[in-house]
Formats: sequence, structure tokens, C-alpha cells
Amino acid sequence: MEFLIGNFAELTITGLVLGSVYALVALGYTLVYGVLQLINFAHSEVFMWGTYAVVWVLTLLGASGTSSLAGAAGYLAIALVAAVLMSGGVALIVERFAYRRLVRQNAPKYIILISAIGASFVLSEIMGLRDKIAGFLGLQGVLGDYVNNPRNTSTLPVEIKPEPVLQIGNYMVRDTELLIIISALIMMFVLDQFIRRTSFGRQIRAVAQDPEAASLMGANSTNVVRLTFLIGGVMAGVAATLYMIKVGATGFNVGFVLGVKAFTAAVLGGIGNLRGALLGGLILGIAENYASGILGSEWRDVTAFVLLVLVLLVRPSGLLGESLGRARA
Amino acid sequence: MSESEDILLELEAVTIKFGGVVALDDVSMTIKKGEILGLIGPNGAGKTTCFNVITGVYAATSGTISLDGKSLAKRKRYQITKLGIARTFQNIRLFPSMSALDNVLVGADVHSKVGLLRALFRTPYFRRVEPENKRRAVELLELVGVGAQPDEISVNLSYGDQRRLEIARALATNPKLICLDEPAAGFNPAEKLRLMDLIRQIRDLGFTVLVVEHDMKLVMGVCDRIVVLEFGRKIAEGTPSEIQKNPAVIAAYLGTEEADDDAA
Amino acid sequence: MRAIKASQLLVVGVASALVLSACAAPADTTEGGSGSTESFSIAYQGPLTGADAKYGEYAKAGIEIALADYAAAYPDGPTVTAIYSDSQGDPAQAPALAADLINNADVLGVVGPAFSGETEATEPAYSEAGLVTVSPSATRVSLSEQGWSTFFRVVANDGAQAPAAAKLLTDVVGAKTVFVIDDASAYGVGLGDGIKDALGDKVIGSDSVEKGSTTDFSATVTKVTASGAEAVYYAGYATDAGLIQKQLTAAGFEGTYASGDGSLESTFIETAGEASEGAYLTAAAGAAGDDFVAKWDALTVSDKGSIGVYSTEAYDAAWVILSGIGEGNTTREDVLAWVAGYDAEGITKHIKFADNGEIDGAGGVYYYLVKDGDFEAPVAID
Repeated sequence: MEFLIGNFAELTITGLVLGSVYALVALGYTLVYGVLQLINFAHSEVFMWGTYAVVWVLTLLGASGTSSLAGAAGYLAIALVAAVLMSGGVALIVERFAYRRLVRQNAPKYIILISAIGASFVLSEIMGLRDKIAGFLGLQGVLGDYVNNPRNTSTLPVEIKPEPVLQIGNYMVRDTELLIIISALIMMFVLDQFIRRTSFGRQIRAVAQDPEAASLMGANSTNVVRLTFLIGGVMAGVAATLYMIKVGATGFNVGFVLGVKAFTAAVLGGIGNLRGALLGGLILGIAENYASGILGSEWRDVTAFVLLVLVLLVRPSGLLGESLGRARA
Repeated sequence: MSESEDILLELEAVTIKFGGVVALDDVSMTIKKGEILGLIGPNGAGKTTCFNVITGVYAATSGTISLDGKSLAKRKRYQITKLGIARTFQNIRLFPSMSALDNVLVGADVHSKVGLLRALFRTPYFRRVEPENKRRAVELLELVGVGAQPDEISVNLSYGDQRRLEIARALATNPKLICLDEPAAGFNPAEKLRLMDLIRQIRDLGFTVLVVEHDMKLVMGVCDRIVVLEFGRKIAEGTPSEIQKNPAVIAAYLGTEEADDDAA
Repeated sequence: MRAIKASQLLVVGVASALVLSACAAPADTTEGGSGSTESFSIAYQGPLTGADAKYGEYAKAGIEIALADYAAAYPDGPTVTAIYSDSQGDPAQAPALAADLINNADVLGVVGPAFSGETEATEPAYSEAGLVTVSPSATRVSLSEQGWSTFFRVVANDGAQAPAAAKLLTDVVGAKTVFVIDDASAYGVGLGDGIKDALGDKVIGSDSVEKGSTTDFSATVTKVTASGAEAVYYAGYATDAGLIQKQLTAAGFEGTYASGDGSLESTFIETAGEASEGAYLTAAAGAAGDDFVAKWDALTVSDKGSIGVYSTEAYDAAWVILSGIGEGNTTREDVLAWVAGYDAEGITKHIKFADNGEIDGAGGVYYYLVKDGDFEAPVAID
């Protein structure tokens, strides 16, 4: 406890950093749930593919050595575009092949759920077996740098050195940490405005609230669902870039744990609610840090899920509750 | 061929079967541009089925439906809406937690092709279309009498306002034909009178109106022509005064009219 | 109707049998000796994929060299092939794979299990089946205290590594305060606790991070920096070891970072990046000699792994079993007896086992310093 008080600022800020990544990934779960009332279990892999896009594009650009955050800004901007394209594209593929037909035919939810879980495994294993896939295609020679040792950790070719920039309490906040928190907040704000103020946002809300009435008012629900997946993918791409700036390493199986946490964050905040995803992510990140500080790091997962259960006991629909449509009154 | 030019919607020998049950049996009818057509019949006569097949909720088992000469077959619901048919619902289906204005705007979005990129980057097109849609939406709210509270969440509006808001939302799609499904359900006599005025106003704005309604006084008072269904078949068609005298219609309603009045 | 159903069932049955057999099939097999009608197998159990796949790769180099030596030394002996069974180092996956090996009557001995956790999960079954296992790298102390008749290892246990690592930190590094982190695995807890015991009151704090449950160690980093420790020892595996060091350095930690044999592979340096400069890795394993490297270079098999930590131990473990087969021991019972009575010079040390399966007279413990993005040659800690 004394430790928590003494290092309150540091634990809070590093918790917010992790929570920001949770929150951005949680958006993908919450958006799809809001519109389809389905959990997109493949979303964790949408994120994972984004992290690889960052690694690959920097490898392609020949980035190496170490750099300050500002020095790598150009690389990172390109990596961000690549990650957003990759994650957005993978999200659209998931929608097209794991969802669309089943949704259109009104398949039972559990069937679509299994389809999503299957898509998750397929996406993860394609990444984990990419050397063999490149081999089948006869491209292993050309793609060697990108596909060799697919099951080992892949690291960012350029190493980002964080610099202290801002004193909060007794902690010097690093520039990378500041960037991650601010980027996540900006993305959340942009998305929130998009959903509230644009005609596409209106259509998403309309389909979320009453898909049949929405289609009779001229909303193309297939397009709306596709757009929802795309937005979730874009957010996951941003999260992947921020994650790589912070962690600097990824693996074909990195999506699972982060996905479970992000999903937890979405449920904690109230699944289907965008602001809930942000709140849930940040609270989860901080709570994990506090618990690790007080009880020891092996308690972080226990704490995360005990917190989830406690919140759901008091507020069964999560902190902010209610659906995508309703919360956006 | 001046007559056919006046025809907006045409049903030709439309039959709908649900399993072995024939819900609509060889129904042909037309709706002329600029008229208010009433669709009536005893309970279970197939009014709602007829309504749903026109708006694309059901597909016809056989027969054709065309709007302005374009067949509606194989078109998706949203495409039919884009083609120019809008509707309200018997039991209110507003987007419950959107504001009144947003509900209308969803309808208005049909024809403004605001793509993702346009919205994201706020292109000139987007900046021109959004305010235009908003202005029209406000006008429509005023038309139906909900103009005073555009930002109210629709579920918080009074029952009557919700019914009228549905009409505004349907009008926002700028339809050629607006289909009202029992618009007077649950209204008191004063509200019914106002509704009749509203329906005439809508027609005067250039819309064609199809009304399915139980309330005879309203139907007789507002419709130019009436089509009567019984057991899925069309049994009569004509002006209100013709229908009132039609022996088949009287027979169909004998003994059921009372029950209908109670229901209404 | 019934006929259709039956045929559908058949299709499903065949399909699932195919899937099952595909799952159960060994990763790959390699020809070993020649010239005899008899043929047997030795198996490797360890991680060939996953975060710790490097260990499998390193072990494969040793086993392949041993197979080549066997073919040369016993040209008339039975043909021996190696079965590589990929446990991913995961105690949850290992038992099913062990059962497959036990049920495969051709398998006369196992090189492995590679990790302590999977050893705990599978050794009872091996012991019951009488299938001998010789581990090149499972170092948890308690493994030899379970009464398993088939457990042997050619490596000194953490009981030897822990005091040596503590000595490294106090004598070589000169740290007065040490923060010890383990990864809550069988191996990590054993090694970490051993180091804490050996360091006594020089331990200024400790934490336990669950292996694979996160890639963000900020709370642990805060604990370390708040404690003011001069050195950190991480008892766990390479990926996490790298991430922790990187995050420590980013947070301004300037002390010495050390870890154990679990992190002694290139993934550690790749993951930690520049932060890994000056890190110490301890292991009860010395370097491969020039001879060994030359033999590896001469191998002609397509997948011969690569040389790294415990490659030489894997060679010794494989050789103990292979020489038994070459000397005419072709039942599991005979091979087990051969291993228990083994007494000969190996390439890492003299190999003779105590009754509990420990190597007699512990081998030395070494440290490897990271310099210029690579491990320097090992230095003995004494």
C-alpha cells in the first residue's frame, strides 16, 4: 500500500498507457456487438496482423538502429498507415468470410460465434505458418526477411528510445507514453464525433437499434455492418502501432491475451457503448497496475477478472451500460 | 395512354402464400399519382400483407409489382426505399434513443451519398449536403407538428408525436409513395381530425399516399379512392361513396364492423 | 436414410482419424544409422514452436550430430531415427505427446523433456512405462526428488545455478542490492527462490510475473526503480526477459540485468535490443567446442537445427541412449538399465548418474555477457 502511494503517479500513468491500447482494441468488440449483438472473437487477430504490418513496413523501408520518438516520426507515420490498412483489410475479410452469409441467413448466434473463433485461429495460424505458406507459393526466397521463423518473436527493426518529457507527481512521463495516451484519446474523440454527427454514424446507430426499420428507411445494412468492421479494424491498426512503439515486439499469438483483456474492458465499460470501451480500458489498465503493485504482478489477471465480476454484479450491463444506439442519445 | 402515365404503383395478379396459407390471392390494383388511396378490409383480410409486399418486407409468390413502371422484384428493402416507397409502422418503430431530428435525418440520408471518406474529410459536398438535409428535416418536423422539440429523444415524445414523427421520417426519404400503416391507431377524435389534415397536406405537397386504416370515418373522410380486401381477395374498389353503397363491402363488414370499431 | 447416415458417419470418422493421426504424427523423422533390419527411435520432447522454439532448434543440432556419430560408430547396429515431439514447452500440451511416445513401441529413450514444467507433467507417465528420459536442460531442483525411476539429466540443477548466479551478482557485478523476478513457472520459481536464498538480505525486493499473460511489465518496472536495486535477476524465459529489460531501461534503470539459462538465446537480445548490452546470462552449460561445430557443419540432413545453449548437453543426452542401443540394448528395460549404469566421458563433462538421476559431481556454471549484440564466450563462475 505504501508502495502504491509512493509511486501513485507512475503506476497510474503506465496503467493509462496500457489501458489506452486496451480501449482502442475494445472499440472493435463494442462496435460489432452494438450493430450485430455478436462478439467478434477474430478481432484480436485483426490487431495482431496490424502489429506485423508495422514490423514489415519498417523492415521494407530498411529502418534500423535506435532512434528517439521524434526521429522515427516519419517511419512511424508510414507504419501507422500500413497498420491501419492491414487491420482494416483483415477486419473486412473477417466480415466477408466469417460473418456476412451467416448474418444474412439469420444463422443462430452460436454458429456465428464459432465461425468467428474459427476465423481467429485461422488468422493466427496463417501468421504462425507464413514461412510454409510462402514456401507453397515459391516466395520464401523473396520474402525471407518477412516470413522466416514465423513462430518466434518478431521485433521492430528500429528501436525507439523513450525520452522523459513531463513531470507529473514524482514521475517523469516519457514521450512515448504521452503519445500513446493522447493518440488514443484523439481517436476516441474522432470516432465519437463520427458516430454522433455524421450520416454514417446515424446509419450505424439506426441499424444497431432496429435493423429492419433502418433498411426500410433506406439504410443498406450490409454496408453499415461492413463499415462497422472497418472502423473497428482501423482502431485496432492504430492500437497496433501504439503497441509496437511501446512494446517493440510481437508474435503470432500476441492477439489472444490482449484480445481477452480488451474484450474484458469492453464488457466492463458496457459492451456496445463506445465511451464505455474507453472507460473500461483505462480502468482495467490502471487496476492491473495497482494490483500488481500492491499484491504482486502474478495477481494482475486475477484482479482484472475479479473487478469485472464485481462491476457486473452491481451493474450487469457494465459501467456505462446499454447499447451503441442508446448510449448515443 | 394518359391513364397509364398517371399510374404510380401497379399490382398485377399478386399472390402471396405462407406455406399452405394464401394471404393474398390474385390481387390487382393501381395507385395513381397524387391520390390518397385507402386500403381497408376486415381483420385478417390481407391488408398488412399487401402493405408489406409493396414495401419489400415480403416477396410476392407470383405476380408483379411496379413503381413508375420499374419492377420491385428482387430488389432489397433499402433499394425499394431508394426507388421511392416509404412507410410507417402499425406499432411504432422509431429509433428509440435517437433524437427526433436524427430519426428524420436517417430517412434523409437515403439520397445524400455521403461516403465514409466524404464524412471523414468533410468534403465540400458533405458540408453542402449536411445542412441541407438538416434544414429539410426541421421543416418536416414542423410539418408533422414535432418542430418544437427536435432534440428530444424519440422514446420520450408523447405517443401522438411519435406516430407523427414516423411520418416525418418516412417523408424524409423523399418518396414517391408514402404508405401509412394504421396511422390513427390509439388517437382520440381531435387527433384524428388533425391527422386527416396532415394527410391532405402531405398529398398537397405532391406525395402519393396509401393508407391502411381501421377507422372508417377517417378513411371515408380523407381518401380519394378505396380498395377493399376480404380473405386475401380484392372485393371492391371505388370512391368512398361508391364503397359505402357496395353490397359486397356491406356484407363483408356485417357483424365485424362493431368489433372493428371496438378495436379502433 | 440409414445407409446415408452410416456413410456420413464413416466420412466423419475417417476425417477425424486423419486429423488425429496428423496431430499425433511426429514433426519429422530423420534417418540415423544403417545396415541393420532392426529399426528403433529416440525421441525429443521440447519446444519446436512457440516463444521458446530456439531451445528445440539448439537441441536438434546436438541430437543430429549424435545420430551421425552413432551411424559411424555402430555401422552394423540397428537403424535409429529421431522423433521430434513439439510440446511448445507447455506442461498442458506435453502429456498427450508423451502418451504418443510411450505408445510407440519403437521409441527406446527420450532426450528431454526440455523444460522443468513439462518434466513435472510427463515424467510420472514415462516412469510408469519404464521409458528412460535424459534431459539436457530441465534444471529445477525438485525434479530429482520425486522418485521417478526414468528421470536423468546431464546438466547441473538450479541448486548449482542459483548459488553461482548469486555469486556472479555479488562478486563479479558487485551489486549490494538485488531485485529478483520470477515468471511463476516451475523453472522460474525454483531458480528465483534459490537465488533469493543464496543472496539473503541483499535481496531488496521481488516480484512474480505470469509467463505469457502480458507484454507490459510497468508495475514490475516501477517496483524495481522504486527499490533502488543495483541489479535485477530475472528467472524466466527469453521473450519476457527481453521485454522486461527493455522496459526497465526505458524507465531509466541503470543497474545490471541478469537472467538464467532460460533466456540464453538470441530472442533475448532481439527483444531487448540495445538495452541488452551488458546483460549477464547464467547457465550450467559451457560452449560448444570447435570439433562440435565442425561436425554440425558437416551434417547433410536438411533440418539440422542450430548450435546454441544446451546443444552439447542434448548431444550427451542423445549419446547416452544411442550408445546403449548400439551396444545391443534394444528393449526399454535394457536401455534404462544401460543409462542408469552409464559411466563414460561426455563432451560436456564426465557422465555418471546418481541414483536420483542427477549427474554425479555437478558440472560447472558459466556466465555469458552480452556485448555488441551477441553473447560472449562463457566464463566459469567459481
